[in-house]
Amino acid sequence: MNTRRSWKSNNISVLSAGIKFLEESANVWVFSENIASSVENCDAFITKLVDQLDELGWQGRDEFGIRMAMEEAIMNAIEHGNQNDPNKKVAIFVRLTPLQFLAKVTDEGEGFDPLKVPDPTLEENLSQPSGRGVMLIKQYVDVARYNAIGNKVELSKTNTSTQSNLNGDHA
Amino acid sequence: MNDFQCLELVNMENVAIIKFKDEKMTDPARIEQLGLELLALADGESQPNLEINFDNVRFFSSAAMNKLIVLEKRIRSRGGSLRLSNLRPEVRDLFGYTKLDSIFQIEESQPESH
Repeated sequence: MNTRRSWKSNNISVLSAGIKFLEESANVWVFSENIASSVENCDAFITKLVDQLDELGWQGRDEFGIRMAMEEAIMNAIEHGNQNDPNKKVAIFVRLTPLQFLAKVTDEGEGFDPLKVPDPTLEENLSQPSGRGVMLIKQYVDVARYNAIGNKVELSKTNTSTQSNLNGDHA
Repeated sequence: MNDFQCLELVNMENVAIIKFKDEKMTDPARIEQLGLELLALADGESQPNLEINFDNVRFFSSAAMNKLIVLEKRIRSRGGSLRLSNLRPEVRDLFGYTKLDSIFQIEESQPESH
């Protein structure tokens, strides 16, 4: 009798694990493509990204933040990295779940030192009509990390609304 | 009366109230055009007083912000005024993060609904 109960219990456990796995794979969006350097390609990617953000429950400031960070990162890659050369590609990788956003944006340019970009929020730079892209990327995600030569940026962000639901918070 | 591609003139009395036609301002060519139209509007008045109503703007890029900075400088040099109104919370944040809310006059809208 005990053996039988144990067998049943184990099968439920296996079944539950299977469902959990299926749920997780249905809630993951992975994008990995090399796009030619053009505004149209950037727009097409952003449209797909925004659809997936909506689909996976990202909203408000979190959704805006990811869109801002990715748009600025890709446009920087196209304009500054690849110098608008349509023969040069921007490699975009994204892994998105309801809880976590991870991305890598790589261009074929010579890179730059993000530490040498003047702080656009200093009073003397406020009226400069340039130089806010890198600051905004860092502002809108939890982590923005450039590689050594500065032609690749890795981004990550946690969905604060999903996080607060998991923590049982109520707005 | 004016044939703007990116702007819509809502009112032309003491203060010219304008809206952006695009919900998102990211295309460099559109942003360039936007900058030209904003400056044309500012240069069309001896003392330009503009209000930009952001109520249909869902997304705003740093490149578009740069055009507003150029516009603000031009208007200030001509003794006019520039006010931004009806910003969505996410767009308002953008001006706070960049500290551009210290150079732009922003009409704070009603609190975010819950």
